[in-house]
Amino acid sequence: MLNEERIILMTQLAAYEANEGKRNEKIDHFFRSDYIAVQVLKSIVSSSIAFALVFALYVFYDFENFMQDLYKMDLIAFARDVLIRYGVTVVAYGVITYIACTYRYSRVKRSLKCYYHNLKKLNSMYRE
Amino acid sequence: MTGLLEFREKIKQIYIKTEFLLIPLMKFLLAFATLLTLNKNLGYMTRLDNIAIVLIVALMCSFLPNSCIVLFAALFSLLHIYALSMEAALVGLCMYLVMFLLFFRFSPKDSVVVVLTPLLCVMKIPFVIPLAVGLICGPASIISVGCGICVYYLLDTVTGSAPTINAMGEDETTAKLRVVIDAILGNKAMMVMIAAFAITVLVVYLIRRMSVDHSWTIAMVAGVMTDIVILLIGDLLYDTNMSVVSVLLGSVLALAVGKLIEFFRFCVDYSRTEKVQFEDDEYYYYVKAVPKMTVSMSTKTVKKINSQTRMSQQARNASDRNVVMERTGARTSGSSRASGNRGNYRGGRSVTVNSRGMREDQGVDPDDFEELF
Repeated sequence: MLNEERIILMTQLAAYEANEGKRNEKIDHFFRSDYIAVQVLKSIVSSSIAFALVFALYVFYDFENFMQDLYKMDLIAFARDVLIRYGVTVVAYGVITYIACTYRYSRVKRSLKCYYHNLKKLNSMYRE
Repeated sequence: MTGLLEFREKIKQIYIKTEFLLIPLMKFLLAFATLLTLNKNLGYMTRLDNIAIVLIVALMCSFLPNSCIVLFAALFSLLHIYALSMEAALVGLCMYLVMFLLFFRFSPKDSVVVVLTPLLCVMKIPFVIPLAVGLICGPASIISVGCGICVYYLLDTVTGSAPTINAMGEDETTAKLRVVIDAILGNKAMMVMIAAFAITVLVVYLIRRMSVDHSWTIAMVAGVMTDIVILLIGDLLYDTNMSVVSVLLGSVLALAVGKLIEFFRFCVDYSRTEKVQFEDDEYYYYVKAVPKMTVSMSTKTVKKINSQTRMSQQARNASDRNVVMERTGARTSGSSRASGNRGNYRGGRSVTVNSRGMREDQGVDPDDFEELF
């Protein structure tokens, strides 16, 4: 005899495992702090590359004048200015990543908790 | 309404049955339309402007993940821009990389939105996007919409600056770079559009999640109003040359598309709303339950009378066989009634076949017999 409730539950679980569950399982392998640290680290690398690209464009934008002024300008002040901008970019992006990843991790945990609860429910249905 | 609901159920059934075919087909069509639009609007690299290449790439995209459409579209656009000017392609590459590194990380699944936004911008109906995204996706999709608008304006800027770039000499590298960057950074219409669409997505998303009656309709109307107001204010402040008529017409179309999405995703009957209140040891619960509008599909039953296999019929050569067919719009046959089948006749046609397989009814196609076995 087919148990309709069990089939519905199994279908839901299978659908979850095939789609969202796959990604959530990967996140669940990490501790919260580890996951956020890895993501923030990735963000630092990403934002550094992005900043380098934008800076390169800025230099090429006015390359002739930049090369002419290079010997006249205060290089230390220029470097400090660039570093401050870089720091602000990286920190801002890191903070955004931290907030987004904290939210994502807690959502994944909630989702997996629900999934495991349903698995237990399915298991108990088989024992009945 | 019942007819519409039945129609929706039919569409759902068709989708479920042909999903394996429909999804690749839709991907193919999206990739094909995107690449064709790129070739038509940019078209600087003549080698790429070839329908065979477009078809092959679109076919590949139909079996690859959605993000591959974005990848191929980016590649096509960069190659076209490169054919125009290496400097412009460099700016384009930097923009794509920055978008990929900073923004796609937060909404990697919205690649369809990133492709559809510039495509609809080219078709002059971009106002559908914020409404549809607000109704279907979450607030994180604002990033994808923003990236899509940036891509559209990048390509638009390159197309607009093409005569200027072509007029410049080979050695004016930095000047070419400056033309493209100035045109992109000084594009106020892009900024206004990004702001308007981002706020619209947020407004639609927040209102549609509220537990008020007709929240989706309210969200759509509020979203469209927000969009129009921000675009008009932007036009007044920054002189973006936005056509009021196109904004209004586009918004009406967006509302129509929004209602269509609502019909398929959130069709509920507010007249049968139930409000219940209960408590447990820790909480009081105030629950509002709104039933979905559903209709069961009409089922067709095929009644078989005296159904026998061909083999068993062949074995019974000695006796006649009586077969009855029921078919909509079937012709009536007088001779069948004469042959004693009046009891089985139900508005279709009745055919009597004798033991040698000869038809007594001359108004019946021979194929009809095949359908019975």
